[in-house]
Amino acid sequence: MNFISVSFIVFLAVTVGAYYLLPKKYAWCALLAASCVFYLWGGGYKTVLYLVFTAALTFFAGILLERLNDKKSEIPKSEKALHDGITKRKKAVVAVVCAVLFAMLYVLKYLDFTVNIFVSLISAFGKTVEPSVPNLLVPLGVSFYIFQSVGYVVDCYRGKYKAQHNFLKYALFVSFFPQIIQGPISRYDQLGTQLTSPAQLNTDNLRDGIQRMMWGYFKKMVIADRAAVAVTAFFRHYDDYGGAVTAFSVLMYCINLYCDFSGGIDITIGAAKLFGITMEENFKRPIFAQSLSEYWRRWHITLGGWMRDYVFYPLSLSKPFGKLGKWSRSKIGGKFGKILPTTLATFIIYLIIGIWHGANFRYIAYGFYNGLIITSSVLLAGVYSGAKKKLHINSDSRGWKIFSMLRTALVVYVGRYTTRSPRLIVAFQLIIKTLNPLSLHIHELWDGTVIGMGLSLSDYIVIGVSTLFLLAVEFYEEKRGETVLSVVNKKHGAVQFAVLLASLLVILFFGIMRGSYISSEFIYKQY
Amino acid sequence: MKNENREKLIEILTDICPDVDFENEDALIDDGLIESLDIVAIVTEIMAEFDVEINVDDLLPENFNSVDAILELIDSKKD
Repeated sequence: MNFISVSFIVFLAVTVGAYYLLPKKYAWCALLAASCVFYLWGGGYKTVLYLVFTAALTFFAGILLERLNDKKSEIPKSEKALHDGITKRKKAVVAVVCAVLFAMLYVLKYLDFTVNIFVSLISAFGKTVEPSVPNLLVPLGVSFYIFQSVGYVVDCYRGKYKAQHNFLKYALFVSFFPQIIQGPISRYDQLGTQLTSPAQLNTDNLRDGIQRMMWGYFKKMVIADRAAVAVTAFFRHYDDYGGAVTAFSVLMYCINLYCDFSGGIDITIGAAKLFGITMEENFKRPIFAQSLSEYWRRWHITLGGWMRDYVFYPLSLSKPFGKLGKWSRSKIGGKFGKILPTTLATFIIYLIIGIWHGANFRYIAYGFYNGLIITSSVLLAGVYSGAKKKLHINSDSRGWKIFSMLRTALVVYVGRYTTRSPRLIVAFQLIIKTLNPLSLHIHELWDGTVIGMGLSLSDYIVIGVSTLFLLAVEFYEEKRGETVLSVVNKKHGAVQFAVLLASLLVILFFGIMRGSYISSEFIYKQY
Repeated sequence: MKNENREKLIEILTDICPDVDFENEDALIDDGLIESLDIVAIVTEIMAEFDVEINVDDLLPENFNSVDAILELIDSKKD
């Protein structure tokens, strides 16, 4: 079931009705039933078993870890051997769960890719093989629910909270329908307890939820889906265009991606708010990031947080990295020797984030690109700081901040060539085409070529004006530290109603009644 | 001894994050003054300088929000 459909709106309205009509204590049952229907409708019955298996495995692992934690706390600290024995068993539980779930994820998403690499390698030696790789359906939201469940197991291992002992309540945490398509990746202590708390009907929550969803629909339907038409048209025949149209299309793709993903998350957060549930924010105006690492703290925040807590910290503080640190301090010395292990761990994280996006060399290259820039900026921090001092640059000045923002936007923009191109080699060709003045063909921007990419001039005007409006809203929120919606909600009821009506009309005229093209699926649904 | 440890810790912290006022800040994590890369660098340095074992379970905001909190963590690891 697509968020951009009448059936979803009806489904959501029925679920909200059922949620508040049921006895407060059992309201969560409406959410669980709705999540089952949503998943079966969108993902089909063939893939639901993966979800049930993941939920069951992590549910029992959580209880087992809680028992081991309790047992450990009963043993005096002086009994070191017993303590160590229990820690080993706890580690074994986490290792088994991670191995099984990530193996499942590998088979579902990456097996095909690795088999193809082997086939290419073998054929390079003049031999031919015909492997039989099962054609498996990738379950809806598989990487999102696996990451969320693994986070729960690791938190239980760390004794961060008590395990959930009711399987149905836990299954709701894993399968909560607004977030199953593209996250955010929630933590159990943040979301789990809210999901099963007694329902409290609050008109402010309903208003906030509807407003947030409208904002998401505006981004997705008015901007993202429009920009997607030009992006798809360009990448279908990328050889036919010069560097200027290539650069323009990649810019369209950046707008498309941000509005698609953040718009989808707005719809998710808004839908959850209708049930009084506050979800984690997944974006914090990434356009204002002044460095690439800051950009990644503002874009897909919950994935970054997950990677930090469950991969980066354990990896950086693991024994092999500890040994590497000791070696680099004594053999290399200086600042480089001190930060080498952390830098290596950072690089690995960005490589994993790249691979997480898909089984393709393009994403591996994308992770490599991000990792390389971030780690080199860490390693060269002293050089940059010295250069800034010599050039008398004030880091707090407005000019430097704007320069840093534009520099970061450019770095991100170049990276996007790799994620949207059909093949890695094509991405390089397109970058070269953009940089080469002889292949720029700048006249294509106004000679009708761009208009021939499926959109009319008025469509481009709508994209331009809407994107500027979005930037103005984000600029206000960045500067004032409060959302525009919260400002609107402090005004008189008539003003609030007028804003809501205006938003509805904009979505209706520029989103729904916009022409022949139909709404596309969310880009992050495939991840 | 306590003052010595405090001075040593502030030296480590200032070396890693020169722009942060460690003497007066008490919400280093909550206010986003130090990030994950800094935390790992700080922990690695503390382990080497104070000869204590800090593991991933100790990486909680409350253990790193202030110099006093970090000193408390170090002391607890020496017990």
